[in-house]
Amino acid sequence: MSESIIPESELEEVELYHAKSWWTEKVFTQDAKLIAIQYGLTAFAIGFVALVLSWFMRIQIAFPELSIISEGTYYQFITMHGMIMVVYLLTALFLGAFGNYMIPLMVGARDMVFPYLNMVSYWTYLVAVLVLFVSFFTPGGPTGAGWTLYPPQAILGGTPGQESGIILMLVSLCIFIVGFTMGGLNYVITILQARTRGMTLMRMPLTVWGIFTATVLALFAFPALFVSAVMMLFDKILLTSFFMPALVEFGENLTYGGGSPILFQHLFWFFGHPEVYIVALPAFGIVSDLISIHARKNIFGFRMMVWAIVGIGALSFIVWAHHMYVSGMNPYFGFFFATTTLIIAVPTALKVYNWILTLWKGNINLTIPMLFCLGFIVTFLNGGLTGLFLGNVIVDVPLSDTYFVVAHFHMVMGIAPVLVILGAIYHWFPLITGKMLHEGMGRFHFWVTFVGSYLIYFPMHYLGFIGVPRRYYEMGQTEALYTSSAADLNVFITLAALAVGFAQLVFIFNVFWSAKRGIIAEKNPWNATSLEWQTPEQPPIHGNFGKELPVVYRWAYDYSVPGAEDDYIPQDVPNEDVKLADGYSELGVEKT
Amino acid sequence: MADQAAIDNNHIGQAVSMPLSRVALYVLMAVIGVLFSLFSVAYIGRMAYGDWRTLPEPTLLWLNTAIIMLSSISFHQATKNAKENQIKRSREYLLLSGVLTFGFIVGQLFVWRELVSFGYFASTNPSYAFFYLLTALHILHLAGGLIAWTVVTIKSFIPQKETSDFALKVNLCAVYWHFLLIVWALLFIMLLLT
Repeated sequence: MSESIIPESELEEVELYHAKSWWTEKVFTQDAKLIAIQYGLTAFAIGFVALVLSWFMRIQIAFPELSIISEGTYYQFITMHGMIMVVYLLTALFLGAFGNYMIPLMVGARDMVFPYLNMVSYWTYLVAVLVLFVSFFTPGGPTGAGWTLYPPQAILGGTPGQESGIILMLVSLCIFIVGFTMGGLNYVITILQARTRGMTLMRMPLTVWGIFTATVLALFAFPALFVSAVMMLFDKILLTSFFMPALVEFGENLTYGGGSPILFQHLFWFFGHPEVYIVALPAFGIVSDLISIHARKNIFGFRMMVWAIVGIGALSFIVWAHHMYVSGMNPYFGFFFATTTLIIAVPTALKVYNWILTLWKGNINLTIPMLFCLGFIVTFLNGGLTGLFLGNVIVDVPLSDTYFVVAHFHMVMGIAPVLVILGAIYHWFPLITGKMLHEGMGRFHFWVTFVGSYLIYFPMHYLGFIGVPRRYYEMGQTEALYTSSAADLNVFITLAALAVGFAQLVFIFNVFWSAKRGIIAEKNPWNATSLEWQTPEQPPIHGNFGKELPVVYRWAYDYSVPGAEDDYIPQDVPNEDVKLADGYSELGVEKT
Repeated sequence: MADQAAIDNNHIGQAVSMPLSRVALYVLMAVIGVLFSLFSVAYIGRMAYGDWRTLPEPTLLWLNTAIIMLSSISFHQATKNAKENQIKRSREYLLLSGVLTFGFIVGQLFVWRELVSFGYFASTNPSYAFFYLLTALHILHLAGGLIAWTVVTIKSFIPQKETSDFALKVNLCAVYWHFLLIVWALLFIMLLLT
């Protein structure tokens, strides 16, 4: 009946851009899938640099007698490791790479709505990465201000890289933000306006919901980083005093005076906390889809999951000062931010319950993507629970600036999202390349990464409890302060970190080896329902879908539907085309 | 349930019934709005410290404000004429808007020169620094708009059968100009009050 009420809606298809030369097809490409791969490769390349930096730092901490790097270099490495991992790897990978590849395919579009802008977005990102990388080779080297770049020390003499490193870092961040805004506009508007017929917002897979919400967050949070970066550039280059108080350096009064370093911290963390969720929300979305597919069961509480993502996104803007408890603030402020921080645990816990309830009585296939998902759930839970410790002012104050904090944020926004990224790569590699990743290497990669991560970060919680401070390049004669086990644990952690690092080398080899020599993947190898697997070709070609765009008839979670012969019904299959199992007259209705 | 599914199957996949470029502009304006708001929050936050001095706003700023208002009005006229298919008149107003915008930018640079000649450098006091920073950022956003203005103005010289796309483009420019006028007005009020 309803079909007669609602007129057939016909939207004209927007003409697709077609490249005219090899350069515009392969290099300056406007195809979102290739842009995604460009984003991915660039992010992994610079991320690998950050990984290698961490090896140097770990060797230095465990074996200070080797003096593998100086204290200045240590600070520079710690800064670059942090900033690269958070912004240039994780943000770029989740939004730039997964966003570009998955959004058009999953919502049933031929491409992003503004392909040219999308291309410019990638090249701007590349410039940002290069500007940052160049700082390794400038006089004084990269900045060693710590990834939070707190003034006044960030731009003062005595901090490594204060000559040019800090300027390049700030400029690079500004370029990154401009580039991201171009990409972000594309992701948001493609999702809002360019879905295929039948793809209501509530039929979109959670991957798209996660990326969408994270992009909105990023569009509104990155300006805060932009503001702080521009103002600090003014302080550094034009000698203004936005953030710089009156200072004496080497016995001389500097021209600065009256500025507020706390103002910088507020601006930075107004960006910094949503940034955690810019990384986490796409991971939540992807892991929900992966769990559902590999457990052959619809996601538990889909609507709840959507609203939890949106709720977490909104709450993430009112918790930022929990990063600043030790900076000093009105006690009522502390109370407010501790409360909001604890409230955010509610929708987050809800998501964890729903993942577990999806697994319950599911047909769990322990495929490599599923292993990574299970690894994610426990790791995120671990990291989340230590977050509750640190969210409380009275517990945070003694633990602040210790290894407990390092362990917490590496678990919750380092290892957990990376496990999702790796799982997602094992899951979508057949779609992107048409080949399967090597199973044996994959399982080795998972177990060493997963177990190794715990061997690295569990002991760090203990180090934090006994008061070992973060950011120290060596512990020195600390017998009086900590037990000697702290030094032994540092050696242990370093060995675990190197093992995990080695496993990543195996993974990188696997990716390149399998792309060339891997087993050819059958079509839709995981029997998934979402649209990206329903393209006529695998890997999908330019334009994604054939002559006609798919029409969507259901949500993305029709797994193990009673009455259907197969244990999955793709989104573009109407009810009348579903093959019924023996004994059923229609879906969910047994013959009488 | 089945009825809802039938309704959903017919959903055209758009959240709002609007051209893509208009949605993009609205989202972009929201982002720019957040950017200027955050600068304003930083401005107000920094004001609380003892070394803050009030900036004496040069009178020229009032003239510049009048110019950017005129440019916005002119854009409005350009849109109106474009919608009525009066391409030639629309073009005249477009050119006028561009000239006025250039006038505004040059006017702001004159204000800078005046301030510098009085010895009000960015490093002298944070309120001066904020003035340079905020006006520069506003000029940059206008300059970005001028790129779109150039494209649309060139388009107005090319004869075309279908003018609705042209009218849309002129309208989007006008909306952006009105938005930057509001941003400037709010900034100016903030500067005057502090």
